[in-house]
Amino acid sequence: MRPRFDSMTFSIAFCLSYMVAFDWNLPMFLYYPLHGNLTWGSHPLRGAGPPMAWYGLMADAGCFALLAAIAIPDRVCVVYLRNYLWLFPFLAMLACVYLLRQFFA
Amino acid sequence: MLTLFLLLHVVVGTALVGALSHQAASMLRRHPAAGRSFVERYTAVNTDAFTLAVVVLYAANVAIGAIIYPAYRLQVRIPFEEMSLGWAVGLFELKEHFAGIGLGLLPLYFVTWRKDFTRSHAVDRTAITLVLTFIVWWDFIIGHILNNIRGLS
Repeated sequence: MRPRFDSMTFSIAFCLSYMVAFDWNLPMFLYYPLHGNLTWGSHPLRGAGPPMAWYGLMADAGCFALLAAIAIPDRVCVVYLRNYLWLFPFLAMLACVYLLRQFFA
Repeated sequence: MLTLFLLLHVVVGTALVGALSHQAASMLRRHPAAGRSFVERYTAVNTDAFTLAVVVLYAANVAIGAIIYPAYRLQVRIPFEEMSLGWAVGLFELKEHFAGIGLGLLPLYFVTWRKDFTRSHAVDRTAITLVLTFIVWWDFIIGHILNNIRGLS
């Protein structure tokens, strides 16, 4: 049987999980470009150079969104959230601006 | 090789900005374009035809950006921090997070442009297209500003 996949749920879950993972600093892994090291979780590795969390955040959001898109019935987005779906990416972007405010203080 | 990827990032980004701006301008037009002025001809495009091109270009450009990102982290961000250009680091952080959110939005964008959702999700389609247009313009402009301050070598 072919698994059902709902594109709308995927996008909404992606935005929500990205926002949560970013806010709680929970990347799936950290990448260290200086020597090409990779560590699971958000605990930084000493002496490995500057870490990059973005790939891990994308992996978090992608995996969670994939599960949500398969598990959540498609009528939730198609019927109940119709024409309010755009609010999720909008709020996720606002949350990013808020969480990065220290760079502009 | 890095310069080649950076150039490719700019070229694909330019095509993406053009495609999404075209689609958004045409979508916001209430009446079909009838005249022959530049604006009328600019907006007189088949909006549906841009959707797949936007998805492919966006995904390709995020992939290229992800390839050159480690070089930015080492060659550009560290000097920014040493020069106390926290605002420049912040602008790039916004660029990367917006790009990530935009990538996750692509399935929703694609679906809302399908014929069976055109009427029922009209508000979503308009707003999502405008959000994506904002993201690609933001990323395009911030990328250029940061590259002008200190480019990859």
